[in-house]
Amino acid sequence: MSARNVSAAGGDTAAEGPADVLVEENQSSSVSLASLMTPSSSGGMSLNMEMPRKRKGSIENQDSKSASILDADMEDDQIRSDEEDQHVKIKCFREPHSQIEKRRRDKMNNLIDKLSAMIPTCNPMSRKLDKLTVLRMAVQHLKSLKGSASSFSEANYKPSFLPDEELKHLVLKAADGFLFVVGCDRGKIVFVSESVTKILNYSRAELIGQSLFDYVHPKDMGKVKEQLSASELYPRERLIDAKTGLQVQADLPVGAARLCSGARRSFFCRMKYNKVSVKVEEKEFHAGTSKKKESQKYCTVHCTGYMRSWPTSQLGAEGEGEADKQDSSHFSCLVAVGRVHSHLSPQVNGEVRVKPTEFITRYAMDGKFTFVDQRATTILGYLPQELLGTSCYEYFHQDDLPHLADRHRKVLRSKEKIETNCYKFKTKYGSFVTLQSQWFSFVNPWTKEVEYIVSTNTVISYDHSRASRSGNKSEQLSNFKTSEDPKKSLPIIPGISTSPGTMIYAPSIGTQIANELLDFNRMNSSPSSGNGSPFSFPQEKSPLTLNPISNNVPNGDATDIEMPGKSSSEEEPQGAAFSAGDVLMGENSQLDLDSVVGPGLNSLSNDEAAMAVIMSLLETDTNLGEAVDFEEMHWSL
Amino acid sequence: MTADKEKRRAISREAARRRRRVESDVFADLCRLLPLQASVRAHLDKPSIIRLSLSHMRLQALLRGAAGRNAEVKYGRVAQRREEWPKEEREGERREHAAVEETNLYLKILEGFVMVISTEGDMIFLSENVSKYMGLTQTELMGHSVFEFAHPCDHEEIRSNLRLTAEEAWHGARRDFVMRIKSALTHRGRGTNLKSAMWKVLHCQGRARACVAPASVSCLLLTCQALPLSHTLLSAHTFTSQHSMDMRFTHCDHRVTLLLGYSPEELLGRSIYDLCHTLDTNTLNKNHVNLCLKSQSVSGQYRMLVRGGGYIWVESHSAVIPSARSSKSRPGAAQPLCILCVTYVLSGVEQPTLQLSLDQTTHRY
Repeated sequence: MSARNVSAAGGDTAAEGPADVLVEENQSSSVSLASLMTPSSSGGMSLNMEMPRKRKGSIENQDSKSASILDADMEDDQIRSDEEDQHVKIKCFREPHSQIEKRRRDKMNNLIDKLSAMIPTCNPMSRKLDKLTVLRMAVQHLKSLKGSASSFSEANYKPSFLPDEELKHLVLKAADGFLFVVGCDRGKIVFVSESVTKILNYSRAELIGQSLFDYVHPKDMGKVKEQLSASELYPRERLIDAKTGLQVQADLPVGAARLCSGARRSFFCRMKYNKVSVKVEEKEFHAGTSKKKESQKYCTVHCTGYMRSWPTSQLGAEGEGEADKQDSSHFSCLVAVGRVHSHLSPQVNGEVRVKPTEFITRYAMDGKFTFVDQRATTILGYLPQELLGTSCYEYFHQDDLPHLADRHRKVLRSKEKIETNCYKFKTKYGSFVTLQSQWFSFVNPWTKEVEYIVSTNTVISYDHSRASRSGNKSEQLSNFKTSEDPKKSLPIIPGISTSPGTMIYAPSIGTQIANELLDFNRMNSSPSSGNGSPFSFPQEKSPLTLNPISNNVPNGDATDIEMPGKSSSEEEPQGAAFSAGDVLMGENSQLDLDSVVGPGLNSLSNDEAAMAVIMSLLETDTNLGEAVDFEEMHWSL
Repeated sequence: MTADKEKRRAISREAARRRRRVESDVFADLCRLLPLQASVRAHLDKPSIIRLSLSHMRLQALLRGAAGRNAEVKYGRVAQRREEWPKEEREGERREHAAVEETNLYLKILEGFVMVISTEGDMIFLSENVSKYMGLTQTELMGHSVFEFAHPCDHEEIRSNLRLTAEEAWHGARRDFVMRIKSALTHRGRGTNLKSAMWKVLHCQGRARACVAPASVSCLLLTCQALPLSHTLLSAHTFTSQHSMDMRFTHCDHRVTLLLGYSPEELLGRSIYDLCHTLDTNTLNKNHVNLCLKSQSVSGQYRMLVRGGGYIWVESHSAVIPSARSSKSRPGAAQPLCILCVTYVLSGVEQPTLQLSLDQTTHRY
């Protein structure tokens, strides 16, 4: 959908007449042309796509051009009507001819510069070489390249930029993958590509001839078996109705074009990753019976491929004995590429990847714990379930309350990560640890509402000296009321109303701050159209059952809060372009739809969406066989 | 006087013609050296010839650089590998045919095409099957900048992914992102030269590759898969779910009970963010944003909390589709959209007794 430069020059285009200048049509009328055009360096309503244009006859044709064209470059970019179906027809606004020409010259010069940078003999030259010389040197360079590449060129009767052999390596390298072929009935690894060494750290020799199941996580064996043993290679197709998202039975014949040589397979499984130590190697050979699996590392491999079947008569030695029992004349196997997921380190286990003196918690808007990672237990003494549902304010030291309340208020209104100062957090045993936290409000990209606050908490110091209060949490809370420290009421916290006569209950600080925000938002936003879901606080339904103290609760009104949905599901995000600091992989601020350019779903036509999502699902009728038993709760790695 | 002028003009015209002829000859020489079939070569214009020559040079530089660094003798291993490949006897032309078939198999399995792209965005190399996805041939596209074809809203993201430090390039840093690209194909896969090219969503994954000599060529090797991927053999280890645009469940298939312990009814109205491990918030966020903007996404691995305790690792492939409850009375209005997810389970239940979230401690239903 970009515009194409149109030149009106030259006699060769006599058949065409003057250049057509029409505005490019878009699928969606709400998207302006300007937003779709990629700005080019030379400005103007420019094009950026110069397709190699087909022209009749050879390059030598040019000499018949009219003499008025002195610049050789102009002739190169004559536009002809595209007879080729594969060209995208594009049009643009009319612009001054000189502009078009200038751009073309610039582009050619740019290309020549790039060319000279790639040619070894051009590079050392201090002065800029002229076009012809550069081209001549390019010819020489290509000739020299051709000479040294003769080792495989003889095998290629079909010229290509990349010989097939190289392309395969490229594919595997880019995909972080290895190709493997396993027999269906016993899972014997018949072939595996060299790249497996880099990925699983086993040599090909170690793997070929072995059973795949020896290298698969025990709990995934059932899954893999299911994938390998299809009773038919061409099962019935099941479609997902794009309109309802539900499965639909369809008695369609399996489309040959879709399946190509065989049924497609796609699954994830954990495969063993060979650690270098000798000790682990010994374990490998007892894979089926090995008890100590803690040290065995696995990585998640996404396997995709096709089922294939070869007549055994054509197989060599490996085929013997591999014949499928049911069909003795065919050897069925799976040909697949396994790609490693490198999102995490090779092992998929329960390790939380934070430093040992760090733990993560999640708060609802009002400061109640909704998620506590297990590291908190070693640091705070509480099990996660003891903290969940309670307000963080119950654990903050009095002196830190004003500061933390302020941070809380700030984080709900900011998209940035907010750092707290060091503060004291009461442990189960009555002592305090000094923590420092980084908070940020996670906002739902669609509704723009705060889902929760994520807190990364770092231990600064363990302080066991302040054991002035007894360990019981409920006692601590009651102490707030009765005040063991005589006459010490909660400090004045800005913004927290303290009507005379009532004691401030620590958790109420959090709720009040949350309410502030809700009220503020309610006043400033339009009422929900009904499509946005009410922002309900699940824990509010039974707000006090977890709290031993159930009386005198000023935060009772929080239960009725319903956040008006700010945007309906039909609203489309608009916004400015990606700012330089907003890198997707960066950790600084949360990805926000507002900060990314607008028309995403605008251009999604219904047809396109529906067609794009009809997913073909094949389901076999076989039993799972060695089915994974999900009833088991204790699985060791 | 005018005759003199005329004469001078004629001389300069002649000179210009000669220059052009010479230049054309050199271009022709260059063109002949390109590894392309004659029929394709005949139709190339000058900028294309240069573009393709550049690509050829860069690719050669990369291959040489790699060969030197890895010290692998790639070429000699062809014969050895073929012996182990359970195919028919091969020799001569059949060997070549098998090689092509093998490569095609790789690409078919991949469900995508290969792209080698420079840090500036020049698509140095594209595998031939790119035509299946973009409707334009390898020759037409190679050497061009990806920014000419990518959705403008994705440019910034692409740029940031292309940026490589020397360190990253040397160690083969990974990249994983989703971008929209123009495709001159209809839904049925037919090429078209209609004015409306469509957007195709590509999931690009790969590694950086550095090469120092003869010229500094740092680039990314990417596999580009068109989303949605085909989901086959939906087994007991996967489940499908439907969500409103804010990622709250509107529907879930029964398999989820076996896998996560929740009944489909329990999940309705719940936000997926509540049900996942906090450390994966970023992953889910990125997935959600991709969905909103590009209509397709692959989430990568994340943890879903199991009812009552523990969690499992999953990966979701999602797409935005028109919602079932489309209003038939307003055919012209924009249809409400929803999100459809296919979630693959990657692991078993980890730490089943560990209760991390409030959900897991309370029985809400």
